[in-house]
Amino acid sequence: MLRAMPITRLPVRLPAHVALVGLVLVSLTGCERRRGCAGDYCGTLVFAAAGEPDILLPPVTQQQYAQDIFGQVFLKLADLGLSQNTIGDEDFQPQLAERWEWDDPLTLVFHLDPRARWQDGQSVTAADVAFTFDIYTDSLVNSPFRSSLRTISAVTTRDSLTAVFRFHARYPEMFYDAVNHLHILPAHLLRPVPRSQWRSAAFGRAPVGDGPYRFVAWKAGESVELKADSTFFLGRPHIRRLIWRFTPNLQVAVTQVIAGDADAVEVLGPPDNVKRAQAAANLALYPYRGELYGFLAFNLSTNGDTTKPHPLFGDRQLRRALTMAVDREGLRKSVWGDLAQVPPGPLARLWSIWDPETRQLPYDTAQAARMLTWLGWRDSNGDGIRDRDGQPLAFRILVPTTSALRRQYAVLLQEQFRRIGADVQLDEVEFGVFDGRTQAGRFDAAVIARQADPTPTSSLAQVWTTAGRSNAGRYASPVFDRLVDQASAAPRRDAAKALWRRAIETLNQDAPAVFLYAPDNMAAVNRRVTGVVIRPDDYWALVRTWRIPADQLTDRDRAEP
Amino acid sequence: MTAWLVRRLAAAIAIVFAVVTITFVLIHLAPGTPFGADEQHQQDPEVIARLVRQFGLDQPLPVQYVLYLRNLLRGELGQSFSQHRPVADAIADTIPPTLTLAGAALVVDFAIGLALGVYQAVRARRFGDVVLGNVALFFHSLPTFWLGLVLLLVFGQWLHVFPVGGMRDPVLCPSVTSARCLGDVLWHLALPALTLGLVGAAGTARYQRAAMLEVVGQDYVRTARAKGLRERRVLLVHALRNALLPFITLIGLAFPFLLTGAVLVETVFAWPGMGRLSVGAIFQRDYPLVTGAALVASGVVVLGSVLADVLYAVADPRIRASGGST
Repeated sequence: MLRAMPITRLPVRLPAHVALVGLVLVSLTGCERRRGCAGDYCGTLVFAAAGEPDILLPPVTQQQYAQDIFGQVFLKLADLGLSQNTIGDEDFQPQLAERWEWDDPLTLVFHLDPRARWQDGQSVTAADVAFTFDIYTDSLVNSPFRSSLRTISAVTTRDSLTAVFRFHARYPEMFYDAVNHLHILPAHLLRPVPRSQWRSAAFGRAPVGDGPYRFVAWKAGESVELKADSTFFLGRPHIRRLIWRFTPNLQVAVTQVIAGDADAVEVLGPPDNVKRAQAAANLALYPYRGELYGFLAFNLSTNGDTTKPHPLFGDRQLRRALTMAVDREGLRKSVWGDLAQVPPGPLARLWSIWDPETRQLPYDTAQAARMLTWLGWRDSNGDGIRDRDGQPLAFRILVPTTSALRRQYAVLLQEQFRRIGADVQLDEVEFGVFDGRTQAGRFDAAVIARQADPTPTSSLAQVWTTAGRSNAGRYASPVFDRLVDQASAAPRRDAAKALWRRAIETLNQDAPAVFLYAPDNMAAVNRRVTGVVIRPDDYWALVRTWRIPADQLTDRDRAEP
Repeated sequence: MTAWLVRRLAAAIAIVFAVVTITFVLIHLAPGTPFGADEQHQQDPEVIARLVRQFGLDQPLPVQYVLYLRNLLRGELGQSFSQHRPVADAIADTIPPTLTLAGAALVVDFAIGLALGVYQAVRARRFGDVVLGNVALFFHSLPTFWLGLVLLLVFGQWLHVFPVGGMRDPVLCPSVTSARCLGDVLWHLALPALTLGLVGAAGTARYQRAAMLEVVGQDYVRTARAKGLRERRVLLVHALRNALLPFITLIGLAFPFLLTGAVLVETVFAWPGMGRLSVGAIFQRDYPLVTGAALVASGVVVLGSVLADVLYAVADPRIRASGGST
């Protein structure tokens, strides 16, 4: 603890004004006295976030940091378990619903926990559940989750604590669809908000929820603070305060955690950050399965005209040859080290359908060269670039400047394709431009990363089926589409897994992309925090069970808000 | 004087209008969409289409521009796409931090610049002047973001002397309610203010040196010396007072420098100001927020310039007499 030294005892005689300035500075920066909270329910956890939430209103945002924060404030009816099994309902954990049952194959009945309360004291009721469904599916509210709820025809109330979900059809992930996206909202507070103004509702910057933490303050550009609800019906959270501290990028966030200005960061990201965090004595690292995969997508339609096939990548054999020319393992080691794996298809590490035995095209440059020659691509003028009918084997790779990793991959791919006689140029563009061009099909090839849901059903369908909304490369295979439908409808996990494998093998043989990496995530948390468990689909979902032992509390933990 | 002031204000409004128009057109023409994917999530095309209609982005650009101007005349800057709240609220939150940073940087800039300039003028063409001149040139040539990163790395991450970004400690001092928390803000302010101030100080020193050199050769300074006044008094009271006149112009010029510098410095130091807000808005194609930020920033710059002119006229009777036609 710093103490102001009496001026008369200063060893050197200082002018009075210098001493006065010193005294003021000491009093301004003087340390907090060791007092405040003590015991098992203290502690402050500061999360370093590489961005700021847009709004804390669940139906209108899918932004990561917003979800991290409102996930502590609003509950779902039930939540995904650590097994991450999305089929059936046996692996889900009760939250607002203390139990549920199926009246018939299309009718799911939730019984709410009568102890559940909104943080203003009102009871959580089935009317809140019906209201929430109404909001999420209202076209005026325009929720990004609306399409995920299309299979549910209605949500009604049987009594004040019983909500009934009716489905259009029977399928394995009905329960997951009913609970995963719906954060239940307080109807009595939100009903007056006009539906067309939900995107800018004031409630979204000062929410009142029913979760383990209450909203305290949002300082724009700086932080959001929550405090534990000591009356929370599923058990009082051990850590008293949660603060998200906003930084402009991941490097600054990681630096803050290393410097002790923050306590936790959910994803360390590139290997450099992991090395820095590993070297920090105050941090413990927690690996968990990643929800991301990256690939080089070939555009199967003409650059800028999605109605015509691409002059190069419309040819399945050429795509296969180029895929075989890429040393994916070598690239993975060079860019990621041990922090990622080469996916055996469009797969995230998070998914249980990850199967290393899945058949894929081998890395075989000799075979790739033979195939290109067989297709008529030869180096006729000795310039090192293959050509056919006077046209060189040349294309451009689109890559966003915001991702150093993807830029690194693009450069390495350029070199690997050059070795086989392909002339590749890079288009490095800002992310907004990258997104616009990939959506519009204005590219030859692009290094894309896709974040996956806990279930492959929606993710694979959206990105790779003919009707997929995010199918940037315009891959279209009726066989693959049919297998995806069958896998999505399979009633058991093992049956679904076998069908998914067949679907992915079909796609691999068509080579619409070169699947490059699927990282495992690494979180860093200050060592004084114990009981840390990270759920791969929702990093901080279990924070209310973490604790800081009384003997590990610092002055910052004890400080009164 | 009044006519001159009216003319000056009319010109200022015209400049701000031009800046808003150019910004509006450029940001709308930039490739990319405000409602597209972020790095994590793909956005549903149906949702995007509804948002585009809701915010009138499906209208021709001239129609959007006219609607924007109409709302502007009513004092409405629109709704931010990325922050889900009125643009005016988003900007208002960032003005105090930016003014705090700019004010502190201005103090560093002028305090160091003034002292260096006077010292160099006194020691003109001697060793100290040459060395300091080159040091000042070195700092003047440094990109602010680079200097900021170096200071952050050395004093924040390696030496732990200053915090690694932010405006305050959110745990111990969530708001400025005590002297200790004021000290905490000053502690967080030190590195960003130094970064911005040091680069500016180098330029200020060169101005001040030239101004002092011009003044010390004047008759009234010679007269002061002839009266037997001490050299220190001659320099600091007689010469410096008159050499400070160009300083008023420098204050006006400093505003644009500080605001543009703040864009990078705020980003490096996670300072919650208007610069960081603008950068985020540009990358997210938040058209109303970008245009609103440009409006406020250009307004501040132009107002600073007018204020400097007025101060100059007040300080120098020759300007007043000529009706400000300098």
